[in-house]
Amino acid sequence: MKGKVAVLTGAAKSGSIGFAAAVRLAQEGACVVVADLYEAGFGTLRSAVEAFGVPCVCVRADVSHLREVEAVAEVVAQRFGRADILVNAAGGSWAIGPEDLEDGPPSAFMGVLSCPVETWRRILGVNLDGTFFACRTFAPWMIRQGWGRIVNFASVAGRAGTRPTETFSSGPYAVAKAGVIGLTKQLALELAPYGVTVNAIAPGLVASWRGRRALQELSESQRAEMEARIPLRRLGTPEEMAELVTALCSEELGYLTGVVVDANGGIYRA
Amino acid sequence: MRFAGIAGRVAVVTGAAGVIGRAVVCKFLAEGAAVAAVDLDDAALQRLAETLPHPQLKRYPADLTHEAQVAEVADRVVEDWGRVDFLANLAGGIPGQPWMERGFEPFEAVDLARWRFVLDANLTTTFLCCRAFVPVMKRQRFGRIVNFSSIAARQGSVRVGAHYAAAKGGILGLTKTLALELAPYGITVNALAPGFIPHGEVRGEAEALVRRIPLGRPGTPEEVAAAVLLLCSEAGSYITGATLDVNGGLYIAP
Repeated sequence: MKGKVAVLTGAAKSGSIGFAAAVRLAQEGACVVVADLYEAGFGTLRSAVEAFGVPCVCVRADVSHLREVEAVAEVVAQRFGRADILVNAAGGSWAIGPEDLEDGPPSAFMGVLSCPVETWRRILGVNLDGTFFACRTFAPWMIRQGWGRIVNFASVAGRAGTRPTETFSSGPYAVAKAGVIGLTKQLALELAPYGVTVNAIAPGLVASWRGRRALQELSESQRAEMEARIPLRRLGTPEEMAELVTALCSEELGYLTGVVVDANGGIYRA
Repeated sequence: MRFAGIAGRVAVVTGAAGVIGRAVVCKFLAEGAAVAAVDLDDAALQRLAETLPHPQLKRYPADLTHEAQVAEVADRVVEDWGRVDFLANLAGGIPGQPWMERGFEPFEAVDLARWRFVLDANLTTTFLCCRAFVPVMKRQRFGRIVNFSSIAARQGSVRVGAHYAAAKGGILGLTKTLALELAPYGITVNALAPGFIPHGEVRGEAEALVRRIPLGRPGTPEEVAAAVLLLCSEAGSYITGATLDVNGGLYIAP
């Protein structure tokens, strides 16, 4: 992975899956580009990545706007002239927009029937459009290079839907992540002839900053009940997801494409 | 990349003398694990050991359709290595020639004896090996089991026959249920479903199949081995009850 250029969206917040993935890819020797709205995290990320002796370029971008993603591509073009790896980690059902970056989870479940249309658009915009825009922008580079790895983040919610008792997910989020799964499969077929693989990871509950924040809202017994529902009896970690991202970007796993890797502790067995 | 969490551990690989088995053995050794190589074919195991001399490789010839032989292998492996961290159940296939030479066995040509033979070779061996090695993994409160299914179980197949597809489908049910039962002990259980991984030259009907693979080529034993390592490594530590398709996009799973 040495010398390869990895573009990650949603990787600036310390404690996020994207952040862990950026650091892990840097450890393998990849140059890192991060597109994120969360500028406050750029400094911490840069020092974590640069500790491995590779460059780290951070660009402020709202991935739900195509022109902002294209602006990221211009920076990458000038700085590196190539992009080998794309990890679409920007997303979530809250704390994803310019106005709610620091917010906690909503207090009540939001379904597809109860969500404001604006919220629907925001969630679909970041999770699904954002992934689509980044793929559209960087896939042509990979086609030219004859090699590429795209890893998208889906969710167990995109596999199986989310129940109204699960207050920290949401209906629109489940729909958006199902869309990411469809996008992954379709892109895998379109890009396979060029040596570009496209896969998705569908995590269950992960102890990311967002996951931990959500758990704070629960009583101890609710939390124990939640963990007991997970066969492995624990939440996943951002580091485990980062390890998985890195494996999917490796040369050796180049025969996997169009795959959704369920990393959910056994809670949903596709 | 290096797969974290492999070095210093002990892997049992069944069907180790086969083409994919050999690649899995090599990969585990390369990543620093000790390997107990199990196979029915002792001569092939000896060739494996001769061409792959390594202090961390030991061979255990056994017919894994016999419960007593499986139990004996398990005892010896624990005696020799002290623990078992990974179990890769590759033993199986369609005994006889590979389908490229053998030709298709239509459903009505599969009699009960043949059906039992193929189910035994694939599903029963996997069941018996899990049975034999789970107790030690439970004691350790750590284990990674990778069961070999097939694209034939995922989408059906007009090439390999109903017996093989049924056996490999049975492995998926076994995998998911074992995943649930063993998760509380820190043991993950997953299935791999390889696509077309030829053992030799690709010709005839197989060439047409390769043309239908989106990545435009067959898979290699090394690529399947890498997927085994993924599921055993820290990259796979939150994955259980899953089926990982390694097929170059030939079958896009639901």
